[in-house]
Amino acid sequence: MNNLRLLMPETVLATLALVVAFVDLVLPARKSRVLYHLGWLSAAGVLGWVALTMGDSSAHGTGTLWAADPFSQFFKMTTLLTCALCLLLGLDYAELPDSGAGTFSALMLLSTAGLMYLVSATDLLLVFVALELVSISSFILAGFERRNPKSNEGSMKYFLFGAFSSAIMVFGISLYYGATGTTKLAAAGAVPGPMLILALVLILLGFGFKASLAPMHFWVPDAYEGAPTPVTTFLSVAPKLATFAAIARVFGAIFPLQTYDLTLLVSIIAALTMTAGNFTAMFQTDVKRLLAYSSIAQAGYLLIGLAAGSPLGREGVMLYSFVYVAMNVGAFAVVQAVGSAKGSYDLSAFDGLYKRRLGLALALMFCLLSLAGIPPLAGFIGKMVIFSSAVQAGQWWLAVVGVLNSCVSVYYYFAIAHRMFFKEPSDDSAIPVGAYVCGGVAVAVVGVLLFGVHPEPLLAGVRASAKMLP
Amino acid sequence: MNAPLTLAHYMTLAGLLFLIGVFGALTRRNIIGILMSIELMFNAANINLAAFDRFLHPQGVTGQALALFVMTVAAAEIVVGLALLLAIYRGADTVYAEDFNLLKG
Repeated sequence: MNNLRLLMPETVLATLALVVAFVDLVLPARKSRVLYHLGWLSAAGVLGWVALTMGDSSAHGTGTLWAADPFSQFFKMTTLLTCALCLLLGLDYAELPDSGAGTFSALMLLSTAGLMYLVSATDLLLVFVALELVSISSFILAGFERRNPKSNEGSMKYFLFGAFSSAIMVFGISLYYGATGTTKLAAAGAVPGPMLILALVLILLGFGFKASLAPMHFWVPDAYEGAPTPVTTFLSVAPKLATFAAIARVFGAIFPLQTYDLTLLVSIIAALTMTAGNFTAMFQTDVKRLLAYSSIAQAGYLLIGLAAGSPLGREGVMLYSFVYVAMNVGAFAVVQAVGSAKGSYDLSAFDGLYKRRLGLALALMFCLLSLAGIPPLAGFIGKMVIFSSAVQAGQWWLAVVGVLNSCVSVYYYFAIAHRMFFKEPSDDSAIPVGAYVCGGVAVAVVGVLLFGVHPEPLLAGVRASAKMLP
Repeated sequence: MNAPLTLAHYMTLAGLLFLIGVFGALTRRNIIGILMSIELMFNAANINLAAFDRFLHPQGVTGQALALFVMTVAAAEIVVGLALLLAIYRGADTVYAEDFNLLKG
């Protein structure tokens, strides 16, 4: 075990998760809300630690099964940020029983720790174990509202698809081991034979499940609709982005897509994912389902950057990932506030929101416009970099599909905005907004606006942290 | 008659098991059946790993170690799955996949 110290942040986070779970046992039930605070403070603390050691070269290096580099640290930061924000949202989510606070926070932290291991993994053994840590914790999180049959059903479907795809991935890993004699990703003598290519395709399918790519995306709407809203927020952001980081490491740096003739396959998956997500989102009446399909489409945009296979593409993926945290968490936070107040996530709950809570309506509008990629919001910058990387790589058809898809997405994002500003509310009472939701929304909207009008610091940061160790 | 078993035999067995698992997971109506099919897929990978260790890389143990990890993780996963199934069964009184239709759109 060389350089175990490189994994200190995630190991400390996992330990903190166990501490939270243990404190839950000894704490009287009426005080359990403290554990949410303990949870988000742990995530925020580790986030600060990773951010401070970002430029410190002694925190970088390679170990037995892992590598810590600026690239992985960047994605660790996005994951931790999402986790902290989602735990804050959990504080204001009434459907979660207070008695479950410890388990909930501990599982969120464990899942985040798994994602942090995943983005650092340079060995398929660690990739597999980390993915399973994430999967098993999120199956439980998705079914956390035990009395809600929808939550149960969503998590069951999530589980079945998850177990199925990890079995596919494990079979891929076994073939990889047969073809190369090692589970290390940087297999020096790997010859591109049919067995290796089949192994890589199966591994890609396994990743595709977590990142909700097209043939493996059927669980997404059900799991997202059933899961408690803070969990939906987490699932729609953190595992997706971390999996993209893992795909970028495996298929960008170590097995270049071009060498293994997989570029076309990945491009087709990207086009399918965008199209399937956007065209199904148009017909949704439940806002959580709508955002679920929208997040599938967003995964398609992100995959364009990887299909391009160039440094610019990777920078685009990182930039868009960071922006995606802000806009998706912001959108889901507003949805949670409105949905909890109305007791329903139907689109009609948003009718005339501007009269009932102008701040929420504006915040949601900014996040949706950013998701649609309208300038001058942050989503536009991210999409621009990704699409231009596709053009630069000669895959102009993929860029065209992406732009057309963005146009389609404007339709359903505006449908929500239309309801908020041009319809009459069924009742005029103000929607209560908890302090923590308010904070989450504020952070998200500031991010969406700030990085939209002033993207240079973010661009510079991304460029500085695009470096990846083998 | 007594031809020795070669790698091809093991790989064929693993491939067949995997395909049976995939077929079962996609067509079974009973959730327990789906779980069993998924276990078949995991075990197909384990056979592959052990066979590769024996025939291709006899000095290494990575394959067997990985197979141990796979078994452990698969067990943990199934525990969660059965717990979820139990929670559903208490509410809906069914273990058939087509009865889970609250969520659609």
